[in-house]
Amino acid sequence: MRYVFVTLLLIINLPLVAQAPLSREYELKAVFLYNFAQFVEWPPTAFSNSEAPLIIGVIGKNPFGTRLKDIVSGEKVNGHDVSVQYYDNAEDIGTCHILFINLPEAKKREQVLQLLKDRNILTVSDAPGFPAEGGMIRLFTRDNKIRFEVNLEVSRAAGLSISSKLLRLADLFTPSKNS
Amino acid sequence: MGSYAQPPARLVYRLSFTILLVVGLACISFRGYSQIPDSLLPYNALKKLSLEELMNIDVVSVSRHPEKLDGAASAIQVITQNDIRRSGAKTLPEALRLAPNLQVAQVNSSQWAISARGFNNVLANKLLVLIDGRTVYTPLYAGVFWDVQNLVLEDIDRIEVVSGPGGALWGANAVNGVINIITKSSKSTKGLFAEAATGTALPVLGSLRYGGQFSDKLSYRVYGTGFQLGNTLLAKDTKANDKWPMIQGGFRLDWDASAKDKFSLQSNVYGGKPNPDGGDTAVKANGDNIVARWDHKSSEKSDFRVQAYYDHTLRDFGNGFTEDLKTWDVEWQDRHELGLRHVFTYGLDLRVMDHKVTNLELFAFLPGHKTLYLYSGFAQDEMMLIRDRLRLTIGAKVEHNSYTGFEYQPDARLTWTPAKNQAIWGAVSRAVRTPARIDRDFYLYILPGLPLISGSEKFRSEDMLAYEAGWRIRPQTNLQFSVSAFYNVYDNIRSAEPGPPPLNIPITFGNGVKGNTYGVELSATSQLTSWWSLRGGYTFLRKDLSVKPGSNDQNKGSAESDDPEHQFLLQSNMDLPGRIEFGTVVRYVGKLPNPRVPDYTGWDVRIGWKITRAVELDLVGQDLLNSSHAEFIPSSPSSRQIEHSLYGKIICRL
Repeated sequence: MRYVFVTLLLIINLPLVAQAPLSREYELKAVFLYNFAQFVEWPPTAFSNSEAPLIIGVIGKNPFGTRLKDIVSGEKVNGHDVSVQYYDNAEDIGTCHILFINLPEAKKREQVLQLLKDRNILTVSDAPGFPAEGGMIRLFTRDNKIRFEVNLEVSRAAGLSISSKLLRLADLFTPSKNS
Repeated sequence: MGSYAQPPARLVYRLSFTILLVVGLACISFRGYSQIPDSLLPYNALKKLSLEELMNIDVVSVSRHPEKLDGAASAIQVITQNDIRRSGAKTLPEALRLAPNLQVAQVNSSQWAISARGFNNVLANKLLVLIDGRTVYTPLYAGVFWDVQNLVLEDIDRIEVVSGPGGALWGANAVNGVINIITKSSKSTKGLFAEAATGTALPVLGSLRYGGQFSDKLSYRVYGTGFQLGNTLLAKDTKANDKWPMIQGGFRLDWDASAKDKFSLQSNVYGGKPNPDGGDTAVKANGDNIVARWDHKSSEKSDFRVQAYYDHTLRDFGNGFTEDLKTWDVEWQDRHELGLRHVFTYGLDLRVMDHKVTNLELFAFLPGHKTLYLYSGFAQDEMMLIRDRLRLTIGAKVEHNSYTGFEYQPDARLTWTPAKNQAIWGAVSRAVRTPARIDRDFYLYILPGLPLISGSEKFRSEDMLAYEAGWRIRPQTNLQFSVSAFYNVYDNIRSAEPGPPPLNIPITFGNGVKGNTYGVELSATSQLTSWWSLRGGYTFLRKDLSVKPGSNDQNKGSAESDDPEHQFLLQSNMDLPGRIEFGTVVRYVGKLPNPRVPDYTGWDVRIGWKITRAVELDLVGQDLLNSSHAEFIPSSPSSRQIEHSLYGKIICRL
């Protein structure tokens, strides 16, 4: 049985030399952002031409490192290349299709949402009250898995059509259940 | 061979064919996903997943239940969905092999011997098994008919295995361990899942599940599954004729009625034809069950659960003997936090088991029809002696059963948490195994009126007093290690006592065996890199039983059990380039002393290839190091050789 203990010792000691794993949470959330691009239909006017890139933006502190860029590099969604942009201020946002808002203050988030109100931008955040603030998709963790909540009213008002395939998997936000 | 042409087998084939067709069509019609350059980096694997699969990925990947595992004052080990899927297990007992603190041995195509901390046998009676809160138990021998405990393995969320007594919470039968099988909520099984498999030990398997939602609060899934497991071997090149076809279907509903109330309702119907004896007539095992549950959260500090289930199982042994068991169970459990120091949990349980057998002339349970009543109450107080550092849990269950009246099962557990990442615990508990019908009501006759074995009114409960201690540590977020040691003192274990001379019959069951067991269980889980994880464990078990003065146990104090002293398990799960998952399980099971079974090392390999987001191909080889070997020798039927095997599976998720 000596070998058993030797093997167990190995199991215990190996990770000390192996690299620590990356934050799985934001890695997963980055993949979700990329996935959303495939299940949302933008009005044709959202793209300057059929070759124009689909832009995923991040405002606030970038939680994804280079992951989001790595994930979308070389990808095409409905013929559009996908690119990533980072913004410090909402005023800097030019053409953008999906915006991940990583601002801890509700007030700042609402300012951004107010500013983008009439544009065809899918707004995403993991802030708890996001759909109630007028955001479109909130990413959250339930039972150790990533889940998302959709405020359909806002996305429709922005002229975005979210596929039923995505909605089927979503929690739907209804303004009445503000809890 | 005649029996295999009968309906269930035919149905299995028909069902499987339909499933294959559906899987094939669904996969063909699905728009293939553009290929992406391979890379070792995991995000590339992640972005190949469907949304639904993404939603099943753990955010914290080492353990699903960090608090629970760190804090629990018991030897708990968890098998996750991911572990099961990557192991290539094709049945529930095979999935249970992944718990290093269980003894799991395949006896023949449909029968298994499963126990914790020893006393293993086909009729093992010291382990409690629950599937979604429903106790799967036959009062025939106080054990589990594993051939009717089937699930679509993909729908299992996790299996929690506690080795050690759970009597104070779970009641009689939880002497050496508790297995809690928990399936996914229908909230997380939306969409279509289809699988079809075929191979050497698994001629056919097919499952189809569809899940969706009626509203954002009410979700559902429906499923159907069927399989046929192949023959084991009687001897080299001689098939045992124990093929086992099975079909099952069911549904589950989950309703989040409000922020405070959650309801769930689930039901299964099954029919199978196991043939452990390999005779001309297979056993017919049919049944259905339904479980309803209401969870209410009154406040952050108090909640309750009410659960009711009905379980009907019918077994026609094919020789005229049948068993018909209907179980009704209602239970209620309430939890209150009082101040900062106390958490009270208490509950009541009422169970009625209507047990009916059709007897044979020379083989009988008398009376043939017996209704067993079980009612119990438990209370537990979890006291914080030193905040965040020292916790004492004291609890007890009082249970009344139809055979021995009141039974008491107290339990005390102390947990010291010197740091957030580790816990040291110790426990003393008493647990009992109450009589089953086989102990009290069983008669085997040589000639009508001349019994060889006769049930005994005098058989009483088997007792155990357990002393346990353990240490659990998480030195890094990606590594968890636990060790537990136990010393169990048993008394009044079942013995077979000879009758009066000269013939020394009838033999009756007595309580003439006592003794102790001790052992150590080690386990470790480690996420080495983002693409490679390992889990494993080692169990040492020593059993020292003896015949009590005044007893003439015909089994010489063996307690009819046969356990290995050493067991070792190592599971490796890798994500390789090209969207390939590579999993291996190595398990070493030491020799069984009596009947003697040589030790063996089993090696299973699974290669899973995700062709597109929707389609996956699996190739699984099981027990690759041995051409065939026995894992357990039962008293009857004769022992079987389990062959190494290979199967392929196509999976479609839409």
